[in-house]
Amino acid sequence: MTTEADALILRYLQQLESQLGDLPANRRQELLDEVHEHIAAARADLEPETGAGVRSLLERLGDPADIAAEARDRSGVQARPARPATPRLEIATIVLLVIPFLGWVLGAVPVWLSRLWTTRDKLVGTVGGLSWVLGGLGTVMVSAGRPVGQPGVDVATTGPNPLEVVLVVAPFVLPLAAAIYLGIRLRGRAGAPATTG
Amino acid sequence: MRRMVPGKRESLIIQMRRGTLEYCVLALLRDQPRYGFDLVRSLAQADGLVTSEGTIYPLLGRLRRDGLVTTTWHESPSGPPRRYYQLTDEGGRALALFTTEWDRFTDAVDRLLQQGDSP
Repeated sequence: MTTEADALILRYLQQLESQLGDLPANRRQELLDEVHEHIAAARADLEPETGAGVRSLLERLGDPADIAAEARDRSGVQARPARPATPRLEIATIVLLVIPFLGWVLGAVPVWLSRLWTTRDKLVGTVGGLSWVLGGLGTVMVSAGRPVGQPGVDVATTGPNPLEVVLVVAPFVLPLAAAIYLGIRLRGRAGAPATTG
Repeated sequence: MRRMVPGKRESLIIQMRRGTLEYCVLALLRDQPRYGFDLVRSLAQADGLVTSEGTIYPLLGRLRRDGLVTTTWHESPSGPPRRYYQLTDEGGRALALFTTEWDRFTDAVDRLLQQGDSP
């Protein structure tokens, strides 16, 4: 359970994930899960676990680029140069997500059609896009919680309730944050470094 | 030593391995289901068959999509449940067919190679 071993394994899996960028998301996830399980089983065999032991375990697994090349080969996916240069669907989704209200709802649908984002990415996009519901809820709560014309309470002196601020601001910030997150994840997929050679 | 094999022979070995590896996987699953790590280590013990253990997993995915292998989850004596790979009926038939063809093929090649030896 050394942290050095955890760091080595994490880096290996991240490299593999970025190399698998042009596989369909479900196939990529399946392969990552299987390799992850393999590492867990191999690790359990190390007695005691050392950094050198984990390193040799990962060496036996092989270069992530080799595994990715094999995966492309076995699943009939062509190498990178042949795939479309611009991920149009993904870009459209990100643009929709930053349009207030209507775009947030519309953006939550095409995000699920993407083959470049994983399920987790899609969930982030959906929750981010639909967070206007939270805003509606927040507005209702804010107006319900403030009795009209109550004497002696001056907003300027008491200041707004932090919870109210969060509920009103969140629907504007969350879709934007989701769009930025999806953009970063897309860059990881579409612009991943080319495989060897 | 394999390490000293010149490039041309190296690529011949890669091609032979490529064509036969999936049937080696099916053969290992003939008698009992195995989990990934066990299967991969058994393959790696056969000399020259597997250089990068991780490349077996894309092959297993292919076999699963072709319906020759299925996966099931089983409890593990230690740690989380494990994914076991199991031969399907179709996988069994593919293996039987390959075994017959392989015997004929190697017999024929062996005979030719031996003929060349003796005048």
